Amino acid sequence: MEELKKGGIFNISDLKNVRISIGEIVEEEEEWEPMGPHPMPGIATLRNWDFLLLNRYKPFYAPLCDMCCLCTYGKCDLTGNKKGACGIRMDAQHGRIVLLACLVGCSAHCGHGRHMLHEMIKKFGGDVPIDFGPEVDVEAPLTRLVCGIKPKTIRDYEKVFDYIEEQIVQLADALHTGQEGSYMDFESKALHMGMLDSLGKEAADIIQIACYGMPTSYEGGGPDVPLVDVGIGTIDTTKPVVLVIGHNVPPAADIGDYLTENGLEDKVELAGICCTSIDTTRVYKKAKIAAALGRQLRVIRMGIADVVVVDEQCIRADILELCQRVHSPLIVTNDKAMHGLVDRTDDNPDKIVDDLVSGRVPGVVILDPEQVGEVAVKTVIQMDKKRKGLNLILSDEEFKYYVNDCILCGNCTLACPNGLRIGEANQSAASGDIEPLAGLFDLCVGCGRCEQVCKKHIPIVDVITKAAYPQIKEEKGRMRIGRGPVWDSEIRDVGAPIVLGTIPGIIAPIGCGNYPNGTKDAWLIVKEFAERNYIVTLTGCMAIDCALWKDEEGKTVYEQHHGRFDAGGVLNIGSCVSNAHIHDAAIKVASIFAGRPLRGNYEEIADYILSRVGACGVAWGAMSQKAASIATGFNRLGVPAVVGPHGAKYRRAFLGRPDLKDDWKLIDATDGSEIYFEPGPQHLLVACETVEEALPMIAKLCFRPSDTDRGRSIKLTHYIDLSLKYLNAYPPDWHLFVRTATDLPIANKNELLKKLEDEHDWEIDWKMKRIKEGPIRGYDPSFNPTNLRRLIREKKK
Amino acid sequence: MGMEIPFDVANIPGPEMGEVAPPEVIGSYISSAKRPLLVVGSEILRDDFFLETAIEIGRRGVPIAATGHSIRGFVEKEYTENVSYYNLHELTNCLRDPSWKGLDGKGNYDFVIFFGIVYYYASQMLSCIKNFAIDPLIRAVSIDRYYHPQARMSFTNISPEMEEGYKDMLNRLVSSIK
Repeated sequence: MEELKKGGIFNISDLKNVRISIGEIVEEEEEWEPMGPHPMPGIATLRNWDFLLLNRYKPFYAPLCDMCCLCTYGKCDLTGNKKGACGIRMDAQHGRIVLLACLVGCSAHCGHGRHMLHEMIKKFGGDVPIDFGPEVDVEAPLTRLVCGIKPKTIRDYEKVFDYIEEQIVQLADALHTGQEGSYMDFESKALHMGMLDSLGKEAADIIQIACYGMPTSYEGGGPDVPLVDVGIGTIDTTKPVVLVIGHNVPPAADIGDYLTENGLEDKVELAGICCTSIDTTRVYKKAKIAAALGRQLRVIRMGIADVVVVDEQCIRADILELCQRVHSPLIVTNDKAMHGLVDRTDDNPDKIVDDLVSGRVPGVVILDPEQVGEVAVKTVIQMDKKRKGLNLILSDEEFKYYVNDCILCGNCTLACPNGLRIGEANQSAASGDIEPLAGLFDLCVGCGRCEQVCKKHIPIVDVITKAAYPQIKEEKGRMRIGRGPVWDSEIRDVGAPIVLGTIPGIIAPIGCGNYPNGTKDAWLIVKEFAERNYIVTLTGCMAIDCALWKDEEGKTVYEQHHGRFDAGGVLNIGSCVSNAHIHDAAIKVASIFAGRPLRGNYEEIADYILSRVGACGVAWGAMSQKAASIATGFNRLGVPAVVGPHGAKYRRAFLGRPDLKDDWKLIDATDGSEIYFEPGPQHLLVACETVEEALPMIAKLCFRPSDTDRGRSIKLTHYIDLSLKYLNAYPPDWHLFVRTATDLPIANKNELLKKLEDEHDWEIDWKMKRIKEGPIRGYDPSFNPTNLRRLIREKKK
Repeated sequence: MGMEIPFDVANIPGPEMGEVAPPEVIGSYISSAKRPLLVVGSEILRDDFFLETAIEIGRRGVPIAATGHSIRGFVEKEYTENVSYYNLHELTNCLRDPSWKGLDGKGNYDFVIFFGIVYYYASQMLSCIKNFAIDPLIRAVSIDRYYHPQARMSFTNISPEMEEGYKDMLNRLVSSIK
């Protein structure tokens, strides 16, 4: 080099104006595992796997709208699977809509994750280590599996989000008019989007765990995480109350820090709604959970909060109007939901406080979480004094006036998502019986559509709240704070019983509160499976809602059951993004227990999980697009999900048909032989009408071909027992899961053998108590099930 | 016959919305169907009358698919002759397949009657039948107390104070099944 010029340009010998630019410096990577076949898969990379799933679990469409309105050719009427002007048919259009929903859901999780990464690098630097303690070596199973990356610091997630965002854009491209035309390919893309969603969730949670020191396997973490107060009745309204809502914890964490630093922990209540509340309890010991999503409107309308702080996702679009109505200043902290307010991030905090307290402005945008901490606390202390004496619960006179004013027009019922008979309850209240009205409080999903159509302008939400107020004040539950990752050591202990079936399943109640019949269903699902020694892993709103109910001893499911990832455990894994750890637990069973290679090896791991890990998601109140992408992510990994009846409005299910024999063929990896097998799991996504129907369905979806006879016997016991308990009948298909007499529950083996003989024409050897003929296949303990030909160890000669 | 507001008021599917029909018309369609199927849901358990109505339709030769947890009621009434439990999603998935063998192994159905199913779930399944069970066509009707625009024919919305009137409509429907 002879001469260096500006801008990195220099001359070498006779070569002039040579420019060398140095991009990323790649450090020599630790050899942790050979790279698998599919690191950072593109849209088409895992298409064969998707089609294998989609051919067994065929997409089922139930259009919510028969038209396409996305381009100016339209509106197009697609009724009867007609084609629109662009050539797309109804089925493909609905595959497209599902992909769009998954895109929105995935973007929410991943946008949140990227935002979190930026914030955390700004606050803590990029070198924060990802170290989850001595019990968690496989710290990021999805990151390793999908990206082939073993992250050491949070900075490593730059590459992960680069990958996710590039894929999201490519998938969004496929939505444009004149692109994809096959419903199968739309669904393959939706499955890809679901996988990205799960990866983005894992990234977001890992980053916040690493930076905030949320529970891991260090002391006090995992099964030993503390319990926290849940429920509107636990909020001490004699103190100033800050209410945080959303899914992005940094502003709430900084409120907690500010309270701690200023000795205000016992003087100010920090309570939350939805996932921010769950995550706040992971970083601030005094935090409380006011409610899940379904109570948002009502908690605000009750006037509990002296200040409301929102971040992102699941915030009501009318949040500003609601806050103004109850004189609660609103602090908006995220640029994705600014609600028309002025950005005051760079203003003097005391000036902002003064403007909020004086009421000169109803709310502000503050995008710096630390500043949010200061402004929220200073404002709440002043607002508490100002709001003292403000009673937003209807007076007895107001209540009486409104219930008498109802003209029973029925408009509220037609507007209600659950079709609640509000008018009749008003009529009862007018006659002196408020129980029917009070009973609506828990059945109501808290949308407020009833008020939009009431001809008499009755504040129906407030009327129901008034009727239920005594019970609301007693809404006091306890739940474990989000524990984050399942430990490797726990997986080592339960890997075998899960795969063999002696732990009958992992049940994952997750997601929103759009329940068909109130929060008690969430409690019942958890209780029923925990008592039957399934492992119950919860996240999000269901983790909160199940804690509102107690047994006869006054204990919640969290108090009654241990928090280990083991039989009978009830684990709060954390917020919505934390449910990636449930995927991770299934992945770890494959990698840690079974020793399957993890790195860049999605297809093989998903194949393992589909065939051997009896896990089932339950999104009983699924509402959002995030829930769509979460379920789709579970499905690609081989985990089925059951949704409540509102879930049918997602328009698509993945349903298997046991009567189509050829859909149920597996390969024995030992010798390559093809085996017809029982439909386990029968579906990847199915809706049930009632919780009574859902309970046996969930148990059914835990059958796997790898079950040992002992494991199958346990699973059959629960399937039959739940069906008898809740449907008062044997399941019509229980016999499909019987391979041998030792699969049958021991307690009523003879009775079941008789039923097989009488009702299904099976041939029984009564002397030996054996099945001679009838099952789809016999039980072979050496059966090594796979769907992938490339995994055959030795081809059959 | 006339048009009505969907029970879930915003549930406007598109250009093809079901007709409101009186019980006798629906009854006559059931009578003329080659292979009718009654699909009942959990709401028939809210009053014995509805369960008895379903059983009466069953006794008139219409097989019953009991969805949700409605099978409980039939077992308790000891009427299981032509009743089978089916999950509604699973059942609808089969209905859209012309080669499905049906509950009795004799083939798919040409006329299905929805009764006592949670409104919005029923609506979605009726939508699937309308849009995808088209060759051969399966006609799906609702005899619930809701107007179902996704059904070919439906009762009108019936308020709770008209419950007795609704029961009368069901009695008329049963009587008209020949």
